[in-house]
Amino acid sequence: MEAQSTYTTGKKRNSLAASELRWGYGLIAPMMIGFAIFFLIALGASLILSFTKWDLLNPPVFNGLDNYRKVFGDSKFRTALFNTFAIAVPNVILRIGTAMGLAVALNSKIAFRTFYRVIFFLPVLTMPVATATIWKWVFDPKYGPVNGFLRQAGVEGPSWLFHQNTAIFAVVVVLLWSGVGYDMIIFLAGLQAIPRDYYEASSLDGASGWQQFRDITVPLLTPTTFFLSVIAVIASLQVFDLVYVMTRLDTSNRLPTLVYYIYNLGFEQGQMGYAIAVAWVLLVLILGFTFVQFRMQRRWVHYQ
Amino acid sequence: MSNRTWRWYLSRILLHGLLMTLAVIFMFPFVWSLLTSLKTMPELLRPMPSGSVGEVVRYLIPKHWRWENYQQVFDTVPFGRFYVNTILVTIARTIGGVLIASLAGFAFAQLRFMGRDVIFFILLAGLMVPDQVLIVPRYILMREFKWLDTYQGLIVPLLFSAFGAFLLRQFFLGIPRDFFEAAQIEGASPFRIYRDIYLPLAGPALSAFGFLTFLWSWNEFLWALTITNSTDMRVLSVGIALFQGQYNTNTAVMLAAANLATIPLLILFLFFQKQLVEGIALTGVKG
Repeated sequence: MEAQSTYTTGKKRNSLAASELRWGYGLIAPMMIGFAIFFLIALGASLILSFTKWDLLNPPVFNGLDNYRKVFGDSKFRTALFNTFAIAVPNVILRIGTAMGLAVALNSKIAFRTFYRVIFFLPVLTMPVATATIWKWVFDPKYGPVNGFLRQAGVEGPSWLFHQNTAIFAVVVVLLWSGVGYDMIIFLAGLQAIPRDYYEASSLDGASGWQQFRDITVPLLTPTTFFLSVIAVIASLQVFDLVYVMTRLDTSNRLPTLVYYIYNLGFEQGQMGYAIAVAWVLLVLILGFTFVQFRMQRRWVHYQ
Repeated sequence: MSNRTWRWYLSRILLHGLLMTLAVIFMFPFVWSLLTSLKTMPELLRPMPSGSVGEVVRYLIPKHWRWENYQQVFDTVPFGRFYVNTILVTIARTIGGVLIASLAGFAFAQLRFMGRDVIFFILLAGLMVPDQVLIVPRYILMREFKWLDTYQGLIVPLLFSAFGAFLLRQFFLGIPRDFFEAAQIEGASPFRIYRDIYLPLAGPALSAFGFLTFLWSWNEFLWALTITNSTDMRVLSVGIALFQGQYNTNTAVMLAAANLATIPLLILFLFFQKQLVEGIALTGVKG
């Protein structure tokens, strides 16, 4: 009798496990089929195509490592790489620094804090193409308010978007404006996780606000800072829509970044194989920087 | 209250001064864009005067509020069509994306099956690869499917969010498996357990991911630019970007178009503010 019931529950458990297996595959199937087609197959095809010469119209011709060799001698690639880093480095530092400051200020019981949070967050919601459209005219040399205000101060502002250095500056400003609110929200969430006791204890010991910020807030926020800097590096190496709209007045005045260059090579010049090879170089750069960041994490990130 | 000394008040005043200044700088592009979009041509062609504050304020505010600029956006390009396309594509991507990601997230978190963790790891590795590497093969795939310049082409390839599966898996992991096992003994299928028990519990996570998908999809540019070709299939982001290259429209009409593309999201945000902010905080912390 007892043996019989163990037998049936055992059988039942087996059939439940089998049904769970079937359902498991069934429920992940939509995601995994899409992932296989649009990611795995696409990634494999991309790798193969990066070793070909291909104009999209005629069949691709295998040309070995030519594309990758070409990348290193390509002065336009170097310009794009330079621009990308000239945007990415100040962008990451300014965004994270500003966002941390704002989050700390707005985490205290300060009047109008919801108002401030909403204001700093609104640009995050704005469509990058619309952001670029607005800022393109904000930076307009003749009619734009930036030069208008500079004229008030007696300075004749440059044609911001027409020269490489000033255009990089302008793009960094716009990226800061449109991204800092997002980082601020995440820092605010990170701040919520810091136990209040730490501050109370250090207050009793007579620590000043600045000492608390330096010795409690900054170290305990390092996991959040780390997360945000990984995301910010990846995102700022991929800047596209902003430059596409802001600096697209005519070909000679473009500010090519890596992704802009990839798009231009592939879809405007019809050099697909080469464009894909440049995209793989970008992939390697992103993986490399992410890897380095994870390695260096040990030196400065404190997990509680 | 003993700490409310004059130093406390002074530091508060300085902090508010700083925050207010920043807030004004942050709002300025929006305000400037709204005001300038209502100006007439002669007003647009007047540079900012270098004079008193009053003069600058008078310069910023249009003399005649020219609402026709907004009408003109619709007259110059099929902006209504762009709107409809954007709404359709965004709704489809949001509903489909949330459904697919929540099914996968539930299975990865609650079901036990062979290879589960390996498959999940492969999916996660996909998050590291930038879209630019995949865009050309995806474009060719679309050409083979004859999906170029179609709604399917705009929607389907972007339905599979590994990020979403990851986010929702983390959420479902927080729900005890006891619920699942109890319902399973009662004879409910895993799909019914997902639909009737787990999905209702996941409301906050679903709406956060849903809003993020909506926001991202509304603003998406690169794929829509690549896959569409005819004016009728353009979405707002692409329409506005190309509009600037192709037509000699005046600044006011351009800005009106940019404002029209942004305003619906700002209104939506006011309704979903809490979910969105929580959602971003959630993804940030768990990411």
